[in-house]
Amino acid sequence: MDAPKPQAVTLTIDEREVTVPKGTTILRAAESIGIEIPRYCYHPGLSSPAQCRICLVEVVGAPKLAASCVTEAMEGQQVRTQSEPALEMRRGVLEFYLANHPLDCPICDQSGECKLQDYVHAEGREHGRSREPKRVFGRDDFGGDVLFYGDRCVMCTRCVRFMNEMAQDPRLAVVERGNRSIIDTFFDEGVEGSPYSGNIVDICPVGALVSKDFLHKARAWDLEHTPSVCPNCSQGCNIEIHTRDNLVQRLKPRDNPEVNQYWMCDYGRARYEWLNRGDRIEAPLIRTGERDARAAASWEEAIRAAAAELGGAEGPVRAVASAFVSNEALVALATLVEALGGGEIVFRSPRTVGEIPLPGFEKLARREDLAPNREGAEALGMKRVGTNDATGGLESLAAHAGKLVVLGDELEDAGPEFGAEAAAYLYLGSYPTEGAGRAKVVLPITTFAEEEGSFTNHARIVQRYEPALQAPGMARPAATVLEALRAALGTPAGALAGRRGS
Amino acid sequence: MSDGRTHRDTPFRNPGWAGNTGEFDLTEAQVRGDDYVATRPLDGGHASGAPTYPYLLAEKDPSAPLFEGPYRVRFDKILTRYPDRQGALLPVLNLAQELRGHISPETMDEVAGMLGLADAYVRGVATFYTMYNKRPVGRYLIQVCTNISCNLCGGDEVLAAFLEHAGVELGGTSDDGLFTVTEVECLAACGFPTAVQINSRYYENVIPVGVPDLLDRLRRGVQ
Repeated sequence: MDAPKPQAVTLTIDEREVTVPKGTTILRAAESIGIEIPRYCYHPGLSSPAQCRICLVEVVGAPKLAASCVTEAMEGQQVRTQSEPALEMRRGVLEFYLANHPLDCPICDQSGECKLQDYVHAEGREHGRSREPKRVFGRDDFGGDVLFYGDRCVMCTRCVRFMNEMAQDPRLAVVERGNRSIIDTFFDEGVEGSPYSGNIVDICPVGALVSKDFLHKARAWDLEHTPSVCPNCSQGCNIEIHTRDNLVQRLKPRDNPEVNQYWMCDYGRARYEWLNRGDRIEAPLIRTGERDARAAASWEEAIRAAAAELGGAEGPVRAVASAFVSNEALVALATLVEALGGGEIVFRSPRTVGEIPLPGFEKLARREDLAPNREGAEALGMKRVGTNDATGGLESLAAHAGKLVVLGDELEDAGPEFGAEAAAYLYLGSYPTEGAGRAKVVLPITTFAEEEGSFTNHARIVQRYEPALQAPGMARPAATVLEALRAALGTPAGALAGRRGS
Repeated sequence: MSDGRTHRDTPFRNPGWAGNTGEFDLTEAQVRGDDYVATRPLDGGHASGAPTYPYLLAEKDPSAPLFEGPYRVRFDKILTRYPDRQGALLPVLNLAQELRGHISPETMDEVAGMLGLADAYVRGVATFYTMYNKRPVGRYLIQVCTNISCNLCGGDEVLAAFLEHAGVELGGTSDDGLFTVTEVECLAACGFPTAVQINSRYYENVIPVGVPDLLDRLRRGVQ
């Protein structure tokens, strides 16, 4: 039997008519027409306990103000979010929250992203009336990456509900009662080891839960936010890369109901330091004589040298790709290899044993494949080789006598003799590596955070990311470099046309 | 009023302290009857699994095994009264406190295991209710009300007297392990302030000068 169609109800919010499916709350209905009602405890991914009492609105005819996060919108209802009773009540709630709040905004990590700050600024009292000394709860280490500042907590219980409902690992609780209430872990057992606990920092509407990693590192308003895709497993969680001074400061999840809803795992969140590595290849390098004697060159020279090298050499072409580069780069590589006569392309990618699912949202898991684009590489007919820690598997290529192109793979275990026999050896990479020692030409390429491109996730959803950092030196996106090289070789564009259509 | 007087003219007489009514000299058995005292806690017949019977206090042991023998019967009986185990948590904690005198983290852990609840959830509940002692207490848990009625009638002085004569800090236990003195929000005995609860027993109209005598009685084992 088909599910019954949602009936629609029409109501008026702040004099504006809106039609929403039956069962929608007033808060969601208001949101759908761009009216934001303050909220702390309400989070779209969690249950609504109507605990914080800040989302109170006036419903005409109702005996008292309604908590809009749990009140269903009804036909013909007239809702006023900005009426005097509603504003007065919300002012009172805010004053109540500030009664013991330390107002340590200048040092609080959440400053600039704090809902308490926002709402007090928008509709709170101008001056506090409290003359009593504030109570001090102090702080607590919740384990893992999470610190708890009890004084800033507004008891919205989002974190407790996340651990209960989403992580389904109830390690947080509200302990004590009344004015002594506080969020705590069960004695010495913190959230350490809980694979999704970093999300409680994201959903904390105030500065009560902060990340140790980010603590005092940067101010929220100094950060630039760039939409991107998490590169740490094939789930492809939508993220924002927060950068400052051309360095990645932290990764935050970005909403995508199909892929990761509002969440991301701690594993992905913690792995961004490699994007900040300073030891980059910054200029195209051409080997002048014996190994290690290399000269920096302009892009023009380097492309010409690479084209001459590849064009002039004999033998079949083989290539190594990386599952950490974009679809665009992989296609460009496949096109180039095709143009050179075609040959096998292999890639290596790390893999763990077992997935770590988020029980509350089963589409999200830390996947076995720890590379973001394995699916994209395989879709282009590339073959995965090597072991689960992304080593080995290149033995047959190490002494390959024809043309050899390496894209993105760091060849960490390949050894200095890799490609020694090759007639032409071209290396495109971001970081210097021993395995590139025998390459005739080394071309610097950008990481995913410095270019625009896309990854194909485990479910074959292609997701685009944008450049968050400035590329160091002369590094360019691999796709651009490979296209330029193909053009210099004089081979036709779209050699893969027939294949792409299939 | 028919003679022209209103209730306002009726002179108000403050009953003040009613004096020693003699109730301190009665034993639990005299007040409640031998049958009640002798049979209530152990036969599983009582519904609430109520805590802190004064005559059981001496037997409390922080490491007592949870729910064996007659306590197992009472535990099972509690479980039958609730649709799920979560509902049974409060009376089970009461029962554990009756056995052990206080609810330690280990006790919370054990109770959580027995009821199949999350440790953190049990902790949230156990800490919510002030009637659960989170730390070991003395043989007599003296809870002095300092809320409004009791306060107006000298609750603070009564509390100070208990602290002084029992020789403890607020919330602490005396060296001989007899007395723990705490302050409570309200004992719901506003009609006869100052109210003091010692274990499960209420003492009303308590005044500071009566405190040493009261403590002596307790030392002698007379409730």
